[in-house]
Amino acid sequence: MDLILEILSIPLVQSILKIAFIILLFAMPLGTVLTLMERKWSAMIQDRVGPNRANVGNYTGNGLLHLAADGLKSIFKEDTIPQGANGFLYLIAPFFGLIAGVATFAIIPIAGPIGDFTFQVTDIEPGLLFIFAITSLSVYGAVLAGTSSNSKFALLGGTRASAQMISYEVFMGLALMGIFMVYGSTRVSDIVNGQNEYWFGNLIPMWGVFTQPLGFFLFFTALIAETKRAPFDAPEGESEIVAGYFLEYSGMRWSAFMLAEYVAVAGVAVLMTTLFFGGYHVPWLHLWESAPQWLVTLLQIGKFSIVTIFFCWLQIQLRWTLPKFRFDQTMSLGWKKLLPLSLANTALTAVVVLAFM
Amino acid sequence: MSLATQQLSSLVTPPPQGDSDTSIMKIEIGPSHPAMHGIVRFTTYLDGELIVGMEPEIGYLHRGFEKESENSKWIQVVPYTDRLNYVSPLLNNIGYSMAVEKLYGIEAPRRAEFTRVIMGEISRITDHLTCVGAASMEVGAFTFFLWFIKAREYLWELVEEVTGARLTTNWTRFGGNATDIPDGFFDALQERLDKVKDIMDECDKLLTRNKIFIDRVKDVGTFSKEDAISFGFTGPMLRACGVPYDVRRADPYSVYDEIDFEIPIGSTGDCFDRYLVRMEEIRQSISIIEQAADMMPAGPIMTDERLMHYPDKKEVYGNIEGLIDHFKLVMEGHQPPEGEVYLPTEGGNGEIGFYLVSDGSGDPVRVRMRPACFNYVEAMPAMTVGHYVADIVPIFGSVNMIGGELDR
Amino acid sequence: MELKVKQVKRVDGVKEAFYIPAAFGGLRLTVKHFFRNLFGSRDVVTINYPEEKRPVSMRWRGRHRLTRKDDGFLKCVACYMCETVCPAKCIHIEAGEHPDLSIEKYPVRFDIDELRCVFCGLCVEACPKEAIRMDTGVVAMAYSSRKTFDFTRDLLRDNYDPNQHESPKYGDEDLPRPESQESALPNSQGIPAS
Ligand code: SF4
Ligand code: SF4
Repeated sequence: MDLILEILSIPLVQSILKIAFIILLFAMPLGTVLTLMERKWSAMIQDRVGPNRANVGNYTGNGLLHLAADGLKSIFKEDTIPQGANGFLYLIAPFFGLIAGVATFAIIPIAGPIGDFTFQVTDIEPGLLFIFAITSLSVYGAVLAGTSSNSKFALLGGTRASAQMISYEVFMGLALMGIFMVYGSTRVSDIVNGQNEYWFGNLIPMWGVFTQPLGFFLFFTALIAETKRAPFDAPEGESEIVAGYFLEYSGMRWSAFMLAEYVAVAGVAVLMTTLFFGGYHVPWLHLWESAPQWLVTLLQIGKFSIVTIFFCWLQIQLRWTLPKFRFDQTMSLGWKKLLPLSLANTALTAVVVLAFM
Repeated sequence: MSLATQQLSSLVTPPPQGDSDTSIMKIEIGPSHPAMHGIVRFTTYLDGELIVGMEPEIGYLHRGFEKESENSKWIQVVPYTDRLNYVSPLLNNIGYSMAVEKLYGIEAPRRAEFTRVIMGEISRITDHLTCVGAASMEVGAFTFFLWFIKAREYLWELVEEVTGARLTTNWTRFGGNATDIPDGFFDALQERLDKVKDIMDECDKLLTRNKIFIDRVKDVGTFSKEDAISFGFTGPMLRACGVPYDVRRADPYSVYDEIDFEIPIGSTGDCFDRYLVRMEEIRQSISIIEQAADMMPAGPIMTDERLMHYPDKKEVYGNIEGLIDHFKLVMEGHQPPEGEVYLPTEGGNGEIGFYLVSDGSGDPVRVRMRPACFNYVEAMPAMTVGHYVADIVPIFGSVNMIGGELDR
Repeated sequence: MELKVKQVKRVDGVKEAFYIPAAFGGLRLTVKHFFRNLFGSRDVVTINYPEEKRPVSMRWRGRHRLTRKDDGFLKCVACYMCETVCPAKCIHIEAGEHPDLSIEKYPVRFDIDELRCVFCGLCVEACPKEAIRMDTGVVAMAYSSRKTFDFTRDLLRDNYDPNQHESPKYGDEDLPRPESQESALPNSQGIPAS
C-alpha cells in the first residue's frame, strides 16, 4: 500500500496517469460519442429519428450500438491506397489531426487543485501558445493527405485546407490577445483563476465572455474555421470536391479523420469553457464557505462538463443551420472582417486595461 | 459575334492551355459525383479554382424513349412519360395526353381539366421543392433540403390518393383521366397546402435572408435575356432573366385562362433570381390550386366519345357493342386520325412539348418530346466559365437538370 | 385573363448585410425544431419500416392478384387482353380447355414477371372480367434472386377462403395441367403465397 502511494506520488507516474485519464476518459469518449450525437441531434433538427438499426438481439440502445458497429466496420474495411499515392505520407497523414486534437486537452484543468494534485496534465508557462503550436500541426494532416493521395479533388481540398487553417490561426491568436491582457498571463491556470474574480461586489463573475465579448465571437468563429467545421467546411466541400483532402481514405484511417474532427469539436468546446466561461469555477460557490472539498470538486467537474457539452451542441446546431461559405468567401471574411475586428479588439482592450487596471 | 455564339464555339474547341502544361487542371465532374444529381459529366478545366472551360457530356440515362414509343400503342406511352421528368410526372402525363387529344381534335370534360390543373400544379410544387431543396442542400443547408422533402412527401401522398402511385402515376388517358379525385380530397389538400406554406415561410426566413446563402447565389451564373432566348431557355430559367414567358399564359391550354395568377420574373438571371422565382411560383401554384378547387365543376371525367376509353363494365357484360368496343380498344389500340401536332405545355422545368405524328393506324409514327433542361445543360459552360469551382454547385442546382427528361 | 407579372423581390436590407442576425434567426428555428422533437410533440415524420408501415391509399397499385368467382374458381378466362395491353410485355398466359364447357377457357399458365412490370395498372383496366387486380397493398417485394420475381398463377391467385366462397366444383387436380410440372411452376420456392 505504501509502495503504491509512493509510486503514485512520483510526478512522472502522475502525469502518465492523468494523460491516460484525460485521453481515455474524456477526449476520446467525448469525440466518439459526438460522432453518434451529431447524427442523432441533426435528426432531431430535421424531424427524423436518426440511426437506430444496429442491434444485438432486440436491443438497439436507441442507436447507441451504432458506435460499436461503426468501429467494427471501419476496422474490418479494406485500407486502400490509391495508385500513385505517396505511401508513407499517405499512411501517417490521418493521425496528425487526431494527435493535435487530443493534445489540446493536456493543458485544460477540468477541476480545481486539491492540495498539490491538479486536475490538469501540465500547467506550462506558455500555456495557450502551446495550443497555437499544436493546432498548426493539424494543418499537416490535411496538407499531407491532400497532396499524397494522388487525386485532384483531394489536392484541391488540401490546398483549401492549408490556406484556410494557416489564415485563421492568425485571427485565433489575435482574438486571444485581449484575454492575455485582461488576465495578464498566458498560463491557463492564471486565466481560469482570473475569471473567479467578481465585479460589483459579488454580482457578475469576470468571465472571459463578459470581459471580452467581441473576443469571444471572434475566437469562436476562428476556432470553428480552424477545425474546418460548417459553415467553414469548404476544404471538405462535399458537394463540389466530394470529400476534399480525405477523399481517398477508407477504413480505419478514414475513421481517424472523422474522430479527429469530433475530438477537435470537443477541443473547441473545452477551450471556450476554459477561456470564456470561467473554466471549472462554479460561479458564486465561494460564498458557501463550508462546502466539503469533494463536493466542490464534483460540482466543478459537473459545471465544466455541462458547459463543454453545451458548446459541442452549439457547434453541431450551427452546422445544421447555416449554409456553407465558398472558399474565397471564407478567406475574405477572415482577412477583411475578422482581422480588422480583432486588431480593433486588441487595441481597445489595451486602452481599457491601461486606463482602469 | 454575340456572347452566345462565342460561348457556343468554345464548346467545340478545347479551352486554351495555360502558360505551361501544369497550370490548367482538367477534372472530370461526374458522371457519378455528389453534385450531379442525375447522371451527366462535366469535363472541367481549372486554373487554380477558377473555371476556364467546361464540356458537358450527356446521354448517361438514355433509355430510348422515342424509339420505344414508336413500338408501342398510343396508350402504352403514358407510363413511359412518367419517367421523363420524374419529379413532376403528372405534368408529363398531362402534356402527352393533351397532345393526343389535339390530334383527335377533342377536349376532355371540364371536370377532368380542372382536376388536371390541380394535379399538375401539385406536381409543379413538388418539382420546385425538389430543385430548391437540392440546390440549398448542395450549398450546405442540408436541413432545408429535408424540410422541403418533408413538404414534398405531404404532396406525394395526395398524388398517391388520386392516382394510386407516387411517382409512376400513369394517370391521364385520352379524353380524360383514369381516376376522379376521391372523397375528402379537398380537405386533405387544404391541410397539406397549409403545411407546405408553413415550411415555405420557415425557409424564407432562413435562406432568403441569410447572408451566407445570398453570398453563394447572388451574381453567380448570371445570364442575360438575349443569351437566354438564343439558347432556347424556357420556364423559371427564362423568367429569372426577366422575360415573362409562361406557356400557361403565352399559349393557354386547359383551363388556365380562367385562373388568375401572376408570372414571377427576376431581373438579373443569376442563381438568386432563379431561386426566388421558383419560391414565388410555388406560392402562385398554391393559389392556382385553391382557385381551381373552388371552381371545380361536377360532371364526368371522361369524354363520351366511343373508342376513346374502355366502356363501363355494365356495358361490357350486358351489351355486345360494349364488349366489342372493349376488345377493339385493347387489340387495336387508339387510332388517332392521320396528322401531326405539337403541343407545348408548361412543365416544372420549362416548356415541355410533345410532337406527335400519326398515320391513322394504332401505332405512333413519331413521338418526340422537347425536354426543357436540354438547353440549360447546353448553356452550363456559358454560365460557369469565369466562376469558381464551388459555383458549379449552385449553378447546376438552379438549372434543375433531370436526367430522365434530358436523356430520354 | 391578362398577363400579370410580378417582379421577385431581392431582399437587400440592413439585416441581410450581416452574418450574425441570420445566424441567430436560423439558430432560433432549428433549436425550436430540436427541442420540440426532443421533449415536445415529436413531429418526427420518419416511419420505422418494417416495424411501422405507412398505410397506402385504397388505389395503391401493388402486387397483382387473380380474383376468384363465387364458387372459388379463377375468374380469368384467358382472353389475353392484359397480355396485349401490357407495355412491359411481362404477362405470359397459356390458355387451356376448361372441363366445364360453359366456361370454355381457363389459364393453364399465368405468369407475371414482377421485375419487368412497371406497375402501370393498364392490365387491370383492360381486363373485361375484373379477374386481375392490383389492390394487394404489397408495397415492396424484396427477394434475393431474380427468378423469384416470376410470379405464377398459383402464387398470384387469391387465398381460398371457405367462408367467402362455396366449395369449388373443381379441385386443382381436376383441372388440365401444363405438360410438365416444372414449366408451370418454374420457381415457386421461397415466396409466401399471397
Ligand atoms: S401493371 Fe402494367 S406492366 Fe405490370 S403487368 Fe400490368 S400492364 Fe403489365
Ligand atoms: S386476367 Fe383478365 S384480361 Fe387477363 S387473360 Fe384473364 S380475363 Fe383476360
